[in-house]
Amino acid sequence: MKKLKALRIWLMSILGLIPLIFISGCNLNTRMSTFVTKGPVAETQLDLFMLTVWVTGFIFLAVGGVYVYVVIRFRDKKGDENIIPTQGHGNPLIELSLIGISILLLVIIAVPTLQGIWYTHDVPDDESSLLGSWYSHGDISDAAKEEPFIIRAIGYRWWWEFEYPQLGITTANEFVIPAGRPIHIELRSVDVIHSFWLPKIAGKVDLIPGRANSMWIQAGDSKEAWIEKNNFSGSDSETQLAYLKYLEDEIYDYYYGQCAEYCGDSHARMLFRAHVVSDDRFYSWIDRMKTGHTKAPDDMNWDNWYQAYDQSPETLTGDINEGLKLFMGRAKCATCHVVKGNPRAVGVAGPNLTYLAERHSIAAGWLNHRNEDNTVDKKAQLANFIQWIKHTDDVKPGNLMWKAKGGGIGELQPLLNDEEIRKISLYLQSLQ
Amino acid sequence: MTTDTTIISNPKQNTDISELKPELSDIGLVRPDHSKNVFIDWLTTVDHKKIGLMYGTLALFFLLVGGLEALVIRTQLAVPENDLISAQRYNQLFTMHGTTMIFLAIMPLNAAFFNFLVPLQIGARDVAFPRINAFSLWAFVAGALVVNFGWILQALEAFGLFSASGPTAGMNDFVPAMGWFGYAPITGKEFTGAGTDFWIMGLQILGVASISASFNFIVTIINMRAPGVKMMRLPVFTWMTLIVSLLIIFAFPAITIALAQLMFDRVFGTNFFSVAGGGQPILWQHLFWIFGHPEVYILVLPAMGIVSEVLPTFARKPLFGYAIVVFSGAVIGFLGFAVWSHHMFTTGLGKIATAAFSLLTMAIAVPTGVKIFNWVGTLWGGKIRFHAPMIFALGFVWMFMMGGFSGIMHSSAPADAQQQDSYFVIAHFHYVAIGGILLAIVSGIYYWLPKMIGRMWQGKLNIWVGILTVVGLNITFFPMHFLGLLGMPRRTHTYLSGFGWETYNLVCTIGSYILAFGVLLLLVDIIRCFRSKIPAGNDPWDARTLEWATSSPPKVYNFAQTPIVNARDAFWADKYGPLDRKMGMVDESHGIHMPSQSWMPLIASFGFIPLGLGMSLMQAGVPYAGYTAILGLVILVLGIALWAIEGPGGYHLHPNKQSH
Repeated sequence: MKKLKALRIWLMSILGLIPLIFISGCNLNTRMSTFVTKGPVAETQLDLFMLTVWVTGFIFLAVGGVYVYVVIRFRDKKGDENIIPTQGHGNPLIELSLIGISILLLVIIAVPTLQGIWYTHDVPDDESSLLGSWYSHGDISDAAKEEPFIIRAIGYRWWWEFEYPQLGITTANEFVIPAGRPIHIELRSVDVIHSFWLPKIAGKVDLIPGRANSMWIQAGDSKEAWIEKNNFSGSDSETQLAYLKYLEDEIYDYYYGQCAEYCGDSHARMLFRAHVVSDDRFYSWIDRMKTGHTKAPDDMNWDNWYQAYDQSPETLTGDINEGLKLFMGRAKCATCHVVKGNPRAVGVAGPNLTYLAERHSIAAGWLNHRNEDNTVDKKAQLANFIQWIKHTDDVKPGNLMWKAKGGGIGELQPLLNDEEIRKISLYLQSLQ
Repeated sequence: MTTDTTIISNPKQNTDISELKPELSDIGLVRPDHSKNVFIDWLTTVDHKKIGLMYGTLALFFLLVGGLEALVIRTQLAVPENDLISAQRYNQLFTMHGTTMIFLAIMPLNAAFFNFLVPLQIGARDVAFPRINAFSLWAFVAGALVVNFGWILQALEAFGLFSASGPTAGMNDFVPAMGWFGYAPITGKEFTGAGTDFWIMGLQILGVASISASFNFIVTIINMRAPGVKMMRLPVFTWMTLIVSLLIIFAFPAITIALAQLMFDRVFGTNFFSVAGGGQPILWQHLFWIFGHPEVYILVLPAMGIVSEVLPTFARKPLFGYAIVVFSGAVIGFLGFAVWSHHMFTTGLGKIATAAFSLLTMAIAVPTGVKIFNWVGTLWGGKIRFHAPMIFALGFVWMFMMGGFSGIMHSSAPADAQQQDSYFVIAHFHYVAIGGILLAIVSGIYYWLPKMIGRMWQGKLNIWVGILTVVGLNITFFPMHFLGLLGMPRRTHTYLSGFGWETYNLVCTIGSYILAFGVLLLLVDIIRCFRSKIPAGNDPWDARTLEWATSSPPKVYNFAQTPIVNARDAFWADKYGPLDRKMGMVDESHGIHMPSQSWMPLIASFGFIPLGLGMSLMQAGVPYAGYTAILGLVILVLGIALWAIEGPGGYHLHPNKQSH
């Protein structure tokens, strides 16, 4: 009876797994799910994963089944105590055929794996992957036309910088990309190793200091790939409409990414976002980022504003002016931050703040103020700015904005007071 | 049914030993032999059985420490945006959890079995170098202390007795917080403080302990087998010990070099890994994983060896395909050196290297699968008796299989790009580490502890240990597969809500408490076994290998007469086999030569403590730290020198005097 009891334990343990599988069965469509792919790279990776699941699942059933059968069938029954089973030492034929079958099953995984390695490694080497083949907006150099579209992702402890070298713009933590276009991402780090992971669009590649890594991503299928995949036939305009509908329904979205390599204290708070938009919206975003904030507060032009700031700062009144004065002055924000357009906010040690108020999160994705309809929740945004400036070191322990060898706002004497923080936050909210 | 070797009784023997007087060593000091003082006896012992027991006890202690660290981690992650502990503390905890479990819990647990069992399984009286064996143990203790020294400082700081100011201002942290594989450049001194130095020096010392122990086992297994114990008659556990020892000897130099380079970067400002000076952080990863992947097999092969002993015993059949099991163990060990870069698929290796390591990783699944087939084959046609060791061994096969399957999933590099550094990886290696290694070790404890202490298990607590550990580990780690695939990166001290991770994390945390309770019950059961009144007898399980032929616990000389072995499962053949395969005995009427005990291994290895701490604190600019290091070096050298000139000594025992 003891033996049956032991058997029952194992059956119980196995049954115990079933509710877990049920839990897991629900909702795989989450923000960073690798099951819901939105691009060819992630799709290839998921296909390979599922292939390994099927192959190992088959082995699991086969071997596990035999195993359970053997354990039950050959258990020691009552009265058998003195029977000594045949002392067999093995059977080379069985062994060799099992090894053969194992190798065969692995080949089923190996061949598509090799194809996948080659495909996911870099932007496809064809005409339609070049920037010149689709970029129909403004000036890009002839050299750039012969290259794929390049974004340079630079890892800092603990935030992300995104440069668009061919287009001459820079942003931080939230970047914008057009749907259906292959993008070559150059991965660079200035301090320790980070890892760029945008699960729905592509698996991760590391940013290693002193090493020029790269990867490619593409949000959604290109038109040609989509037509082929869906066997779509129709006139050009029908195709165009249907393709746009596909992008509209499935691809244009706000995607969540995160640093995946441990990089120190606030590794958990090094997130980023990718905003996938249509070509037209992408072009208009580029235009805005290129020109930046051409006007100072109160619609003044910058020369006049700085003249006032230098000679009679008391004439600049109102929360936003006060906030900008603090930003340029006592709080020393401009030492580390660029605000494109503002001729004196040119520090490059911290994130670029151009159109900061249009982003849906701050502090590298940790403090969020995005509404469901992709608008910005202004109230939450102000609260987030205030929390970030006031409790920088709690939101992101160890970060350089708080303590940087005398340059941090945590080292100001005295610290910024609530009123000052509110004014700076209101100024930041005006960056839209 | 049994031979004379097992039933030699000698009432005079105890008096024999107590009548022996310690002699003077070659340097004129009294040897600590035959001491009535328990502490002196254990601190100076060279008996592989006592050393094994001490390894086991310390390792179980560190298993608890590492488990406690894991529980704090899981509690922190139970709910999103939890602030139970700070980011820095969390990072210290996961770093020390990994370091502790690998270097201070599983490796010494394996070492405990190696020490206790290998000489018994090959019919030897002790290991080849008994004093080096003691040295390995105490060096392990020194290394463990240095690695964990930061926790002591942290505790002192909490009580206001110590702080990083004044002369110790350079220590901006105490406990290592860069992950157990310490990827450069986060180990650089601009990013981490004294904790990293403790970690570097601690691991170096542990490396010395491991390498010296491994040479000892290799020499023992090659040279000290009893007559007739041919290589292909070695019990599989001993075979795995041999393979693991070879792996340690080839793998540890890689990390020794890497750690030395890192120490030079930190202490003397060299540029091996520092980017500013033109160093290459990626070099660390290659060196670390050339050590680190074989290390995985260093941890798991002994577990496979244990299971390969337990399954045949309780199925009452020989291991199916002995030669292939041994050979596949060797192939795993060999291939283990050729797959290191599968830990680095996301570091931009390039297509060719990625493809090569992908295929090699798939290849290593074959010998691993072979072992599982052979275990199933062993059970086929057997008479399976469900005693506690067997329950855990059967659980091992099942859980290890599950860990193996997610391993195959990792081998496909593009799929791994989504899994790498996510909770999927955590799930994978904990299925291997807990579902595989730990269950096998528990099986080994249930199997061999009666042999080690001569008392038999009592009660049915083992069933609850089995249920709780297996259910607990599945509830903890199965959901982590999904957590990882839903995008949760590892080593994050907290997470936002809204990513679909909340339920899974809470379930994992609950599971971890169930698992912890199971481990606690295991300890209770072990204590109950020590207090048990039921004598184990020589052979409580009707087992097959040589260690069961002698008394439980074995006498200090192991076998009163060295056995002559004529079959693979020597003791089984002796019990049930034909006459020509039964064991014989070597005539040893001249008495048994026993090695003398010595203080020197203890003294020499404790020199590592000031050496390690001194080197660590030197980086932080603590005054006199350099002199402390030199003092440690002097103690070490002096200890070894005295050890050399004190002479081996030794004395004779005559356990058979009465019966002759």
